[in-house]
Amino acid sequence: MLDSGFDPAHLTQLLALPFMQRALLAGLLTGLLGGLLGSFAVLRQLSFFSDALGHSALLGISLGVLLGLNPTLVLIPFAVLFALGVNHLAGRSQLPTDALLNIVYSSSLALAVLLLSRVRSYKGGLQQLLFGDILGVSWLDLGVILLLLISAGGYLLLSRRSQILLTIDEPLAISRGVAAGWHRLVFIVVLAVVVAISIKAVGVLLISAFVVIPACASRLVCRGFNAYVLVAALLGAGCAVVGLLASGAFDLPSGPSVVVVQLLGFLLALLVAPHSRLARP
Amino acid sequence: MAEMILEVSHLTICREGSTVVDDVSFRLEAESDTALVGPNGAGKSTLVQAILGVLPRRSGDVRVLGHALGLRGQLPAAVRDQVAYLPQSIALHGRFPLSVAEFVGLGWDRAALALPWRGGRARRAAVALALAKVGGEDLAKRLVSDLSTGQLKRILLAFCVVRPRRLLVLDEAQAGLDAQAAEQFHGLLFNLRRSEGWTILQVSHDLEMVRRTCSGVLCLNRSLRCSGSPDHALSPAELERLYGRGWVAYHHHHSDASRS
Repeated sequence: MLDSGFDPAHLTQLLALPFMQRALLAGLLTGLLGGLLGSFAVLRQLSFFSDALGHSALLGISLGVLLGLNPTLVLIPFAVLFALGVNHLAGRSQLPTDALLNIVYSSSLALAVLLLSRVRSYKGGLQQLLFGDILGVSWLDLGVILLLLISAGGYLLLSRRSQILLTIDEPLAISRGVAAGWHRLVFIVVLAVVVAISIKAVGVLLISAFVVIPACASRLVCRGFNAYVLVAALLGAGCAVVGLLASGAFDLPSGPSVVVVQLLGFLLALLVAPHSRLARP
Repeated sequence: MAEMILEVSHLTICREGSTVVDDVSFRLEAESDTALVGPNGAGKSTLVQAILGVLPRRSGDVRVLGHALGLRGQLPAAVRDQVAYLPQSIALHGRFPLSVAEFVGLGWDRAALALPWRGGRARRAAVALALAKVGGEDLAKRLVSDLSTGQLKRILLAFCVVRPRRLLVLDEAQAGLDAQAAEQFHGLLFNLRRSEGWTILQVSHDLEMVRRTCSGVLCLNRSLRCSGSPDHALSPAELERLYGRGWVAYHHHHSDASRS
């Protein structure tokens, strides 16, 4: 793939193309959203949740294909139902949440592949679903992502105190009057919708990187909560833009390029982190 | 008659089908310091969490500062402001990017939806004062996840003292502290109780400390076995009733405090 080499003129031509501009905007917004939500999700140990939801989303997409509906339309209700179901199961079951999530996502994945194998008319290809198609993002998709960014950002901003307390210790939060059950549910639903919306651009396999990597990198270096959330969001957006530009310049697949840039960011954070060590156990 | 800060009547709590706290009633007068003692699994933590509305109750009534606790643990925000809870420990997994000053500020704020920058100046002043009261001024910029257990307890006290409170509920506050740190913590708690006018309900395993500092004792083993002054409730006969036969006069050594 590296035979194309870097050509500035080629990049300038690319930047003039509307689909590339939409892709960059989509990457910017998705990166912001992933970093923002991820900074809370990672502290709450929900990173595996976003991974499992991403994988399970393939079942939602397959159902959409089978029923002849727009996959994005099916994906949002599917993700919300998934979040509600997992939240309910985790509260009731005596099994650990990660084991439950594993059962749910591997069986969803299996069902999805079986369904897709029966749908002959499906020409989209698994590849696009797995790794996303950020170049195929429409203005409508962009509008939806922007709307989501505003509402998720507003919710987190207004409930910031409750969210931090819940992350530290749930009984402590409840004793301060935080409606814990309600906030836990809303957060998990918002996270699910964000993952569902971002799947079109990023793909089911790599979506959790958008949530987890920028937040973890920021967690290693920041010394205050506001800085932590801000750096996570900016890092998410920055890595997405740089990754997309690199993918355009070197003719590489877009989703994986972004994730590799995120990885570089994370490694850099590891190097500059105080005492340069991994988070303590 | 002294003002009642906490009134618990016929409180019964069930968890997973079995009754863990059975028909417990007691009252706490203003500025009293009451210890809740009993063997492991006696329902002490469950009882204090139900009083705070963290765990649901099967039946009975709880009144905090004269306000009834709702069945789902609701209390008016103005009442919540005057109650503080110190959990056994807070488990932070890995590096937690929250500074001590930010954490203490969370004790000052109400839980309702609000813009984060509202009340900034008043909060900063309250946080600085609270840290000064617990001798933790130099910790303000540290991360909560970088603190030692003793420092963390100190900061949790700052979380309580950042706003005027009436009732403080402590769940084994000395757990995890070595002898010297436990002594320091209790000295600090004792002074703050007097200067702030706190009423305290504390779960404790340290019977020596309870004898020396508390004004009242509640002995719990699923139901309330006895209550009264430490001299009465912690007499050898009552302790045998509470902890069962085979109970040997319990000379608590502080090395035990590092367990649990």
